Amino acid sequence: MTDYEIVIGLETHIQLNTTTKIFCSCKADSWFDPPNTNICPVCTGLPGVLPVLNQAVVEKGMLLAAAMHAEIQPVSYFDRKNYFYPDLPKGFQISQYDRSLARGGYLDLPMPSGYVRRVSIHKLHMEEDAGKTKNAGRERLIDFNRCGVPLVEMVTGPDLRSADEAAQYLIRLRQLLRWIGVSEADMEKGHLRCDANVSIRPRGADYLNPKTEIKNVNSIEAVRDAIEHEAARQIREVEAGNRIEAWTLEWDEDAGVLRKMRSKETEADYRYFREPDLLSLPITDEWKERVLAGLPELPLERRARFMQAYGLPEYDADILTGERNLSDYFEAAVQAYGGDPKRVSNWLMNDLLRMLNDTGRTADQLKVTPQYLAEILKLVDANTVNTSTGKALLAKVDQSGKAPRAIVEEEGLAQVSDDSAIRAVVQEVLNESPKEVESYRAGKVTLMGWFVGQVMKKMRGKADPSLARGILEELLGGG
Amino acid sequence: MSLTLEEVEHIANLARLRLSDEEKERYRQQLSAILEYAARLQELDTSQIPPTSSVLPPRSVLRGDEPRTDLTLEQILANAPQSEERQFRVPPVLE
Repeated sequence: MTDYEIVIGLETHIQLNTTTKIFCSCKADSWFDPPNTNICPVCTGLPGVLPVLNQAVVEKGMLLAAAMHAEIQPVSYFDRKNYFYPDLPKGFQISQYDRSLARGGYLDLPMPSGYVRRVSIHKLHMEEDAGKTKNAGRERLIDFNRCGVPLVEMVTGPDLRSADEAAQYLIRLRQLLRWIGVSEADMEKGHLRCDANVSIRPRGADYLNPKTEIKNVNSIEAVRDAIEHEAARQIREVEAGNRIEAWTLEWDEDAGVLRKMRSKETEADYRYFREPDLLSLPITDEWKERVLAGLPELPLERRARFMQAYGLPEYDADILTGERNLSDYFEAAVQAYGGDPKRVSNWLMNDLLRMLNDTGRTADQLKVTPQYLAEILKLVDANTVNTSTGKALLAKVDQSGKAPRAIVEEEGLAQVSDDSAIRAVVQEVLNESPKEVESYRAGKVTLMGWFVGQVMKKMRGKADPSLARGILEELLGGG
Repeated sequence: MSLTLEEVEHIANLARLRLSDEEKERYRQQLSAILEYAARLQELDTSQIPPTSSVLPPRSVLRGDEPRTDLTLEQILANAPQSEERQFRVPPVLE
């Protein structure tokens, strides 16, 4: 059998997290609102109304374009895309066609197996969302809340080569959108929607075969599953001597099957023309500079810097830069601590991440501030508390919001490093356990752990364990 | 530049217009004449003339991102031929 490779391009629709819609002052987010709560004459397409562009939509679009390394255009235009569907009350969608907000751009995907896939961006433009329809018996009910919600549509080149790469694109895009604060990017709420164009060709070929378009692949798993199904189907067809037809397919996530959809309009059928109700959109250098001054260091740049500047393994750097405020937290803690960054990383990844996951909070909501984490690490380094007391302190600080040092003093948690105090307790343990002492002296040296445990228990965990062990060895060793 | 009857039918379908045979022929002739006129305009050399898809100079007219409410649900639903559960009710979609 021929060795095939899959060729994939993704079309994504990204819902921007502005307060209001793109062309009217209705609230944009209707997730918790009943149908038709946030509607007005503009977004329901009443006669005689005029759209007015929301400045925040343009600025968030500019941030996204810059984060995708795309070129923001000094002048762009809006166009009408004409089609009839009940969820589109005007009979056209205001979009951008040939002169859109930005050109070019790419996103790098570091793949878990070690290589980096660079995905080019073919299209990046602003547009309005349509409403929602649902079946009600033989008729349909229409909710216009979503009409006019701002979207950025972004289309990649045919650059992805596997279902895993397609999934990774969505994962990295979602991370980036949240990182730069332009979208909540919650796929379950439809903030990030995806269609996939899929074709196959013999590995190494440089031409493109006819593709099919899969609609509605709206979760990471759906993208992976739908593409794998479709690629396998295409390979079966080609191997059987059939041609691939340019179908539009719909992914049924529950049933795990692809269904053929009725063919949609072709591009020419949309009869695009300049939107006469909106002016062109000039973007001056001053405006662009002011907006882009708010663009933070991007996740992949920060990931690389964490590995280089702090000597972190790739695994640590990847997790710590998963979310922007987690990476901010890490960096603030490293600075406050001044010691080995890997130690900060270990405590964050082992203990604090669990606290975050258990309580559904983000790092900036922790009462254990980066400064408090650094203080706890210093207390452990100075042997003021031992490691297990240090870890217990995380929870105590997070509950009370008090400084670690204050809790240590209040609760008398400081480790006892006083030789004579530990020596007295060791003597007590030995007096109470003649049998164990005898066994130990007869050669059962594994009992040492048990003796240390007894001492720690009597001292409520506060003994310096290595000191206790030394004294035990000294007093027992005599036999 | 002469349109075929099939092209007229396709355009009518996109605009959701049902035309009689007599109308189809009439529009075929009228639309062909318009296209011919546009084709004549295209013969002009406009390479030295700035594009005028709008006669207004480039200028930003933008709105602040401040929410405001407008008509009530009742006022807007009053325009719906039929409504149900706060929503517009329409016939099933074609096909």
